[in-house]
Amino acid sequence: MEIKEQRHETYVTLIPVGDLDANSSVELDERIHAIVESGCSNIHVDGREIRYISSAGLGVFISYLEELALRGGRFVVSGLADNVRDVFQILGLDKLDHLVLTDAAPQDDQLFAAKP
Amino acid sequence: MKAYLQVRCSKSQLAAIRDFAREQLAQMQVGEPVSHQIVLAIDEACANCMIHQHQCDGYSVLEVSMYRKGDVVYAEIRDSGQGFPIDRYQPEDVHHIVQRRGKGGLGINLIHHIMDEIQVEQGEDYYVYKLGKRITDDPAPRPSTAP
Repeated sequence: MEIKEQRHETYVTLIPVGDLDANSSVELDERIHAIVESGCSNIHVDGREIRYISSAGLGVFISYLEELALRGGRFVVSGLADNVRDVFQILGLDKLDHLVLTDAAPQDDQLFAAKP
Repeated sequence: MKAYLQVRCSKSQLAAIRDFAREQLAQMQVGEPVSHQIVLAIDEACANCMIHQHQCDGYSVLEVSMYRKGDVVYAEIRDSGQGFPIDRYQPEDVHHIVQRRGKGGLGINLIHHIMDEIQVEQGEDYYVYKLGKRITDDPAPRPSTAP
């Protein structure tokens, strides 16, 4: 799976391209793990190019929520297609603390400026 | 009439399973978002078999079949593994999974949310996971979006 990365002042944006299933989610997990290990507490996943997500992809996202929350950080997922967003909603993940689902990507550091 | 797909137990085969399921559901004239949800449930059940029953050995085989009976679409996954009682599985609360920083435990949870019928049938040397979804003429209501 191709995963583009953009570094910002207060957060890192990852842009996964394609299907996020049990096969490909390992790569995303490794990328996020490395970012968290480097000390970054704010992660933004630009989901516009995610065509499909299964529980394995969801699991990667939620497994970092506690760690980021403890550091006062946030996990923001933006731009999901309806079918992908539905999967979050089926399990109620869209209502979790510290996981922000939004239509638009953060234009600046505003989303990460305030503590959750 | 049943449509069949046989795949080896490798996670790289999941995309082929999804393509097969999408094609069958299109032929059965199942629209979105229900079609996508059924594809997801099948993907989850197959991934569960591959990972937990066969450790993705690449040699064992899963057989997926799909058919429609009245207003119910069925997917059957035939597996030679040791079997897992997904029909009796109690899904773990999502908040608990978050608290323990887990990555697993969501797949069968999704299957239970999506499918109307979940049965496990045991044969002599195999298990069949039978998943049924009732199809209505009206599109399924979309889950409410959090404010």
